[in-house]
Amino acid sequence: MSFHLGEGSVRIEFDEGLYPKDAIYGAAYVFIDRCWVHLDRAGDRRIQVTLKAKKPGADTQAFAGEFQNELLGQAWRLRIVEENKKLVEAITARALGGAAGPPGLDELLAMDIGEETAFEDPLGIAMSWEEKYKKKGKGEAAKAEGDASADVSGGEKA
Amino acid sequence: MSLSTLFTELGSAAKTPTGLVPFRFREVGGDILLTNFLGDWVFVTKDEFRSLARGELDPGTKLHDKLASKNFLRDGLDQAQAAERIAYKKRFLNWGPNLHIAVVTLRCNETCVYCHASRANMDAVHTDMTPEIGEKVVDLMLQSTSPSVTLEFQGGEPLANFSVMKHVIEYALARNRAYGKGLEFTMVSNLALMDEEKLAYLVDRKVQVCTSIDGPEHLHTKQRILAGGNAHREAVKWIERINKAYIDIGLDPTLYHVEALLTTTREALKYPKEIVDTYVSLGCRAIFLRPIDPFGFAGKTAQIVEYDRAAYHEFYRAAVEHILDLNRRGEQVLERYASIFLTKIVADDDPNFLDIRNPSGSGIGALAYNYDGKIFSSDEGRMMYETGDPAFQIGDVFSSTYRSLMKHETVRALVMASIREAQPDCVNCTYTPYCGVQPEHSYRTQGTIFGRMRESTLCAVHKGIQDFLFDKLRENDPTTVEILRRWTTVRARTHFIHASSAS
Ligand code: SF4
Repeated sequence: MSFHLGEGSVRIEFDEGLYPKDAIYGAAYVFIDRCWVHLDRAGDRRIQVTLKAKKPGADTQAFAGEFQNELLGQAWRLRIVEENKKLVEAITARALGGAAGPPGLDELLAMDIGEETAFEDPLGIAMSWEEKYKKKGKGEAAKAEGDASADVSGGEKA
Repeated sequence: MSLSTLFTELGSAAKTPTGLVPFRFREVGGDILLTNFLGDWVFVTKDEFRSLARGELDPGTKLHDKLASKNFLRDGLDQAQAAERIAYKKRFLNWGPNLHIAVVTLRCNETCVYCHASRANMDAVHTDMTPEIGEKVVDLMLQSTSPSVTLEFQGGEPLANFSVMKHVIEYALARNRAYGKGLEFTMVSNLALMDEEKLAYLVDRKVQVCTSIDGPEHLHTKQRILAGGNAHREAVKWIERINKAYIDIGLDPTLYHVEALLTTTREALKYPKEIVDTYVSLGCRAIFLRPIDPFGFAGKTAQIVEYDRAAYHEFYRAAVEHILDLNRRGEQVLERYASIFLTKIVADDDPNFLDIRNPSGSGIGALAYNYDGKIFSSDEGRMMYETGDPAFQIGDVFSSTYRSLMKHETVRALVMASIREAQPDCVNCTYTPYCGVQPEHSYRTQGTIFGRMRESTLCAVHKGIQDFLFDKLRENDPTTVEILRRWTTVRARTHFIHASSAS
């Protein structure tokens, strides 16, 4: 559904149940060089996109049609990526890992290790468990413990 | 029967027989082409496809045997062998960029209607790469995880900054003694600034020379203006001279000769045969019928040089039919696009051509270094920078480390965006196992690195070429198939490799 808003502007509304919000952002992004793009909520689970052409004389109905097609492509792409996530991650990791190789001498030499930074341990890796959590209140320590176990079960599920 | 009519006809009766591996299909010629994830392919008749669509696939039938022999049936599929085949074809993922493009100057002595390189006038010496930047380019290049690297000198016209080119070559040769990589040099030049002294150096340092020929003289000189001269005559004169120099040092002229590249403009579409004949007469054994690129100045001059992709396909078919005819008469000449796709289709290998790779070579296969030291994921990305869009700059030679370039978020995005199995259209396309697109092209033409293949001119070109090649394979004429198979054999030009061992 698209509404002509007069000279150079058009508004389109989408049902969030049909189109994921990320797909709408993705489609909107493709238009930012040609249009001023405004997203708003038009009602319950309805998203409104307003496209205002940057240049005079643009065919806004064509923009609306193009936006809808782009959105369809974006929504489909999200689904495909979701379905192929593991494959894409595996290929990407292999591609980037193979290209970058292990850290070399240059990189190690370039590391910022000075008097102040040499013994920094922001993640508390060098601390014992007691040291790490004794400073916190009881509740916080329990939360940390809960998080850790959640990680484990997540790992098991995977 | 069109495929959509068949499925409408069958309605809910349509079902896939059990035991098939996932496959994609497309009508080519009068038959249906099926391809699977391993890159195996088979043609079935429409009747056979109708049976498949009804879920019928009986053991002992011709169709069953045909599909089994091409790994379309899960039973009997050797999984270990399948994994090995995929790993072998994707072995380029184990290595980083092997192509390093150094733009040693933007200055150029010719003006071309389709200029991709965003040239500068000959007095714009501030666009010359300095020796220091050239050295830094070499330092980064040699850190690539690739066991062999090619340093390609481009411009502008690289011969306009020959002293720096020489310095970079000497520096690279010296530095590579510590690395021991297979090292190659190429230069892309219009040859108009060549002289005997430069030639002697290039031959001595084994620098491969590549030039541009637009076709017959009248076409070439109309599109490439050399102030005070004839661009075609200069190029031809030096091609012949360089080829002779190779013969003089005992190299086989069928393997060692100047490579020439074509840019297919609208005007060029009228001369498929003449263009092929020009190339053959110059001793070229490979013709790359590349369509016009949207990068650099070509974007601005589109109204002069752009054209409909259907017209390009007509041109491509006419030219390749002519090339096939020449082969039937004993001439050894091939079309480069065809040889890239055929290597994947019939030779079960990947020639690692960066722009038709999955994932593409952007960043992880090639890097482009601008004269000022800025580094880009590809030369196309660099050209976009020169025309005002820095989206593909991933660093500079002064502050970037090799790993920071490879792990740059833009490179990561380009890899993801170029994986065909994760893009609409491509995911269902019969040609996914052989295809690949350069995400920079989608960005330039459509504003998104992911691309919308349905409207992509690059996809149209790839689809059209693969349709043509598969149709030839379907017709199965033994002489033609043999010629196409021959186009997939690559003879390495070992003379050009500086294989120094690390000390
Ligand atoms: S780019 Fe086009 S031809 Fe290539 S796989 Fe994608 S849809 Fe198919």
